[in-house]
Amino acid sequence: MIHDAQMDYYGTRLATCSSDRSVKIFDVRNGGQILIADLRGHEGPVWQVAWAHPMYGNILASCSYDRKVIVWKEENGTWEKTYEYTGHDSSVNSVCWAPHDYGLILACGSSDGAISLLSYTGDGQWEVKKISNAHTIGCNAVSWAPAVVPGSLIEQPSGQKPNYIKRFASGGCDNLVKIWKEEDGQWKEEQKLEAHSDWVRDVAWAPSIGLPTSTIASCSQDGRVFIWTCDDASGNSWSPKLLHKFNDVVWHVSWSITANILAVSGGDNKVTATSDHYTRFAMFLEPDEN
Amino acid sequence: MKLKEIDRTAMQAWSPAQQHPIYLATGTSAQQLDATFSTSASLEIFELDLSDPSLDMKSCATFSSSHRYHKLIWGPHSMNSGERVSGVLIAGGENGNVILYDPAKVIAGDAEVVIAQKDKHTGPVRALDVNMFQTNLVASGANESEIYIWDLNNFATPMTPGVKTQPLEDISCIAWNRQVQHILASASPSGRTTVWDLRKNEPIIKVSDHNNRMHCSGLAWHPDVATQMVLASEDDRLPVIQMWDLRFASSPLRVLENHTRGILAIAWSMADSELLLSCGKDAKILCSNPNTGEVLYELPTNTQWCFDIQWCPRNPAVLSAASFDGRISIYSIMGGSTDGLRQKQVDQLSSSFGNLDPFGTGQSLPPLQLPQQTAPQSIVLPLKKPPKWIRRPVGASFSFGGKLVTFENAKSQQQPGIEQQQQQRHHVYVSQVVTEEEFLARSNQLQEAVQSEGFVSYCQRKIDMAQADFEKNVWAFLKVNFEEDSRVKYLELLGYRKDDVRKKVNMPGSCAPAESDESALNEGDEGQATEEQSLGQVSVALLSNYVDGLITQTLLTGNFESAVDLCLHDNRMADAIILAIAGGQELLSRTQEKYFAKMQSKITRLITAVVTKNWKEIVQSCDLQNWREALAAVLTYARPDEFAALCDLLGNRLESEGDSLLQTQACLCYICAGNVEKLVACWTKARDGNSPLSLQDLIEKVVILRKAVQLTQAVDPNAVGALLAEKMSQYANLLASQGSIAAALTFLPTNTNQPNIMLLRDRLCRAQGEVPVGQEVLKAPYERQPVPKGQAGPVAGQMQGPQAPAQQYYQQGDNPPPPGFIMPGAVNPNMPPQQAPSPNYSMYSQGGARPTYPQTYQAAHQYPCGTGGPALYQPQQPIAVPASASYPNPAPNTTPPYLSSAPAHSMPSPLYPGQPQPSPTSLNPVSSFPVPPSGASFQHGRPGPPATSVAYALPTGPTGTLPATSDLPVPDNFLPPVPITSPIMNPLADPQSQMQQPLGPAPATGTPSFQPPHLPVGQPVLQGGYPAAPQPLGPCIMPPAASKPSTEGAPGAPIGNAIQHVQALPTEKITKKPIPEEHLILKTTFEALIQRCLLSASDPQTKRKLDDANKRLEFLYDKLREQTLSPTIISGLHNIVKSIETRNYQEGLNIHTHIVSTSNFSETSAFMPVLKVVLTQANKLGV
Repeated sequence: MIHDAQMDYYGTRLATCSSDRSVKIFDVRNGGQILIADLRGHEGPVWQVAWAHPMYGNILASCSYDRKVIVWKEENGTWEKTYEYTGHDSSVNSVCWAPHDYGLILACGSSDGAISLLSYTGDGQWEVKKISNAHTIGCNAVSWAPAVVPGSLIEQPSGQKPNYIKRFASGGCDNLVKIWKEEDGQWKEEQKLEAHSDWVRDVAWAPSIGLPTSTIASCSQDGRVFIWTCDDASGNSWSPKLLHKFNDVVWHVSWSITANILAVSGGDNKVTATSDHYTRFAMFLEPDEN
Repeated sequence: MKLKEIDRTAMQAWSPAQQHPIYLATGTSAQQLDATFSTSASLEIFELDLSDPSLDMKSCATFSSSHRYHKLIWGPHSMNSGERVSGVLIAGGENGNVILYDPAKVIAGDAEVVIAQKDKHTGPVRALDVNMFQTNLVASGANESEIYIWDLNNFATPMTPGVKTQPLEDISCIAWNRQVQHILASASPSGRTTVWDLRKNEPIIKVSDHNNRMHCSGLAWHPDVATQMVLASEDDRLPVIQMWDLRFASSPLRVLENHTRGILAIAWSMADSELLLSCGKDAKILCSNPNTGEVLYELPTNTQWCFDIQWCPRNPAVLSAASFDGRISIYSIMGGSTDGLRQKQVDQLSSSFGNLDPFGTGQSLPPLQLPQQTAPQSIVLPLKKPPKWIRRPVGASFSFGGKLVTFENAKSQQQPGIEQQQQQRHHVYVSQVVTEEEFLARSNQLQEAVQSEGFVSYCQRKIDMAQADFEKNVWAFLKVNFEEDSRVKYLELLGYRKDDVRKKVNMPGSCAPAESDESALNEGDEGQATEEQSLGQVSVALLSNYVDGLITQTLLTGNFESAVDLCLHDNRMADAIILAIAGGQELLSRTQEKYFAKMQSKITRLITAVVTKNWKEIVQSCDLQNWREALAAVLTYARPDEFAALCDLLGNRLESEGDSLLQTQACLCYICAGNVEKLVACWTKARDGNSPLSLQDLIEKVVILRKAVQLTQAVDPNAVGALLAEKMSQYANLLASQGSIAAALTFLPTNTNQPNIMLLRDRLCRAQGEVPVGQEVLKAPYERQPVPKGQAGPVAGQMQGPQAPAQQYYQQGDNPPPPGFIMPGAVNPNMPPQQAPSPNYSMYSQGGARPTYPQTYQAAHQYPCGTGGPALYQPQQPIAVPASASYPNPAPNTTPPYLSSAPAHSMPSPLYPGQPQPSPTSLNPVSSFPVPPSGASFQHGRPGPPATSVAYALPTGPTGTLPATSDLPVPDNFLPPVPITSPIMNPLADPQSQMQQPLGPAPATGTPSFQPPHLPVGQPVLQGGYPAAPQPLGPCIMPPAASKPSTEGAPGAPIGNAIQHVQALPTEKITKKPIPEEHLILKTTFEALIQRCLLSASDPQTKRKLDDANKRLEFLYDKLREQTLSPTIISGLHNIVKSIETRNYQEGLNIHTHIVSTSNFSETSAFMPVLKVVLTQANKLGV
């Protein structure tokens, strides 16, 4: 059973993961599909994969029911495990790389309710920060906010380190979407977004398209898909808009790069052809609701 | 992991799955073994709030009941989604009673919460179940084999499923089938189980273990398989769970023997049929897979027995267990840390002490040690197999280029209890999502137009299709750019038709009266000419027609001044002016002043401006409602060098006007001015540019205008400004998101150092699958290259991992720059110099190493556009050189100056890599395109001559990887850096005809053996596409002073290969007509003069001007070739040449002025202003 399939940054390679504990990488350029690597290392179903930005090389993270997060890296054409994180007590359900601007940082959400932030500090070392009890009985999804310097679309003076505010969203079995913000090196719960009446299955922070509005999509076991927007720079006032209520659990939401299309994957357990499936559920959003 | 606990000895019932939030109802257990022996009873409701990390359950309501309960269930009957709490609580009491409670009323605190109550049963009602299909049906079981079916809608009279079973015995369990709604099973402690068919109203099968030791404490139907059920035995001698299939009812299908003592309760998960909970007198809570018998999970519990266990219907990971120690515990089976629990214990202990520092020692007790003692193992592992509900079966994720990756796990019909995975199909689909079809169609049209040079027809089509008048107008203005006599056509668009006016003027009797605005405007230059022609007749007219004595006298005495005064005094204005003309310039201007002072007609100001040529004044002060007139005047009269500025000025005024209508008209002014950036700003301000189609609207105009600017104005198109760059990258993004990656690449601005644009370019290239060679080198080995903690992003190219930028720039080589876009060669100065992708490329990627030439780095990279692969890349390497060479100025901060050289990049833009090539070639189409026309300058860029060596000075090759410069093969036909004009300059006058014929380098410019090695087959197409764009002649005219030692940054061996390769290509298509021999001196003289000036000029500003001038004079040479210049202009030019030869530049300037004033503007506008610049400079420098 395949649980995730993600293209790399360029759309030329495809990584899949499966309940057979494998992570596979395919070259899909020009419509082909060549298996490049079959990565073994997990001892349980692998839930998600995530590609790091190519500026760090060819790096893939995977998370599994075996409570492990593995970072894989291609070195001289060979994929190998470069880091294994075993700090979670339960299934790790979601991994997401931070915007490349912040460095190599991976957020991991687990059924133990915690979210871990793994930051590469050089020399093969990773620094771990853990948010305990982020979502009681489980975090199902994490998604980073795009790297936007608050209050300015103007280029920073060169050489000056931009003053990014790091944020990400998470969704969990407590039916909440939470927004976390880093302050003084510590991760703090900034917002608690309540609208879903059942597990939040996925959250997706929309890519920045230069507008000051932040947008998050969340989907839930309750069949609802909400679009959350926040117009103020402080990030305090989020308002939900019900995009649609499906009859069955909605497993996954994904924004297009231009943030104008949201792909919604619902699991009615009768899925026969996914292509039909998504076209049925593909939603078209006007970029500016105002 | 334990989530919550309630200190009650109670039966429990979760709210139905539909209920949100989740409640747990508890009713005092009739089996209470409470130490208090209290007889009180209560019904309570708690809310499960998982966002509260504490172990406490939130109590919502307590109702004091007169009953104790043997069984409690919460049915979804009469649930309404709108209500916060709903459903029905059904309780089985001690004395044969079945009681219905309204949970909403319980929570509301109502006194009357009982909906109905019937005491029909005998003995305690231990068994209750709600039919899942008809939730109004409830089955109950009690002593004496009593089974009733209650209809909650008609509660008074229950039904029976059939005749009571014999012998009479207690009913301990009852359960509706999960698949077939009319099937019910009942079981008794004796182990006998009966399956009833309610349609037949009789038992259909009896299941009984042959050893008769089963003491049934639990009965559950399989959630998915209609014929299967499990029975649990309370007997310590047979502590088993039997799985039965009614189709084989003689013996159990499977027996689970995981408990060591009798089982007290079971619960089968509705969310995952592989999860069966059981709790027993061995104090264990196990979760097993009844389909395999495997124990998946053992809940960490205390040593107490649990007598009731329930899955939470809504939250599949949650279960509750009631134990005899007076506690209901809520667990998650997903494992996790018990830190929360420990914390609670700590808190309890702390509160018991009341103070963590009871003795006032100033040291608080170390509380964390306490829970560590009591809970040595804090980590609870999750289920051995992942529960079904966390296995994501579907997904769809967008990726770059509008691709959507979807996967499915289509299951074939599952065989119950049999291996499930075998028949699943796993597929991943990659699909292209296109949402903006109209946008794509229009974008394609635009590209076709650019490709086919069909600008005029494209504009015409736009005009025809335009709905709004303004849109029509804009396109009409744009179209004019591609037509001859654009200014005249502009005038016509503004409503001024020269011929009409002329007719009016020539009509008898109509010329004398006051001229209308129109005629005044349009008579224009010939009006002045007429005056002059009539000069000769003046005296005659004076003598014969006017006999006013005084005037005659003064005239006869030659006293013009007095005569004029007299005429003015007499208000004979015409006479006065005519006389003043005769009286000389000084008198004339004085007379004009007096005239203007006296006359107050509305057109005076206009006339004033016409005569005094002060158009700025008009543009600045005119009533904006008359912007049309002002623009017309500017179009007619303004000198070429001020024309654009005046249009801009007018546009600015219109734009800043409050009137939104006028604001939009500013666009027209900007179109006339060819000011792309302002057009973008104005357009963006006027309308919402965010939707794809409105963006398309804008880009269409921008692209066309840029083309027009290249064609019609002697000015280089400016660099892509910030706003336009943003719009273009937005556009490229949009195209990419629709899957048009190649098209996106062509529109992406190339001249920007904005990291996001550069990143996009890199991404687009890679997405196209064009992975350049040297990829391995480009990887980011972050292990080797430690990534600093919390590093900043790529602002100013401070990307970590040097390979990324290298990739990026390198990538540019693979990509054609967009049409009409120029690359200023800006680059990230911080580019790490190491990490050269490969020897072949290193010279380019190394460019950044030289801090003083940052721009050249990028230029070089960007240059080898469209290279299909490594093999093809090499030949084109040399071409990259002119790009850097054309960078005339080493000053790093002067970005604008480089713009002029940039067209070299924009020219070859292979927008359409797939288009048929004009002639066969060994190069693939992609690679053939990018070879830029500027290869001509490349010739000069050869390392030989010092003047051109600048080209090579820029990239610093890594020593050891590149051959020394001396190894470079220099072709025999190498040309010294004498000025060679670009082959693709088009005369302004006749762009159309020029477009039809490919232009080659002018033979006159060099030796006949000149073989442009850089011209691949693609070039004719390119020339056609960008006929008027100025060529980067930078290297040719580079003064030696600016040159660098050529040993530095030698381009390496590939150049030699390239030259050989390229030279083999056909070149015959690129010949130009020769300049007639008698006029050749014009070219040589002017070019020599510019060279002299360049040698003397010291400041970069001047040099740039001169470089530019050199290029722009190509317009003149083209006209000479075409022999389209009028004899008067030609002779005037020869006069200028003579004055140059005598170094009398002032005289040259005078002649220049004369030519300009006497010739047709459109004929000379392309080169005369340039000539003036050169002469002025020469005069200033005294060369």
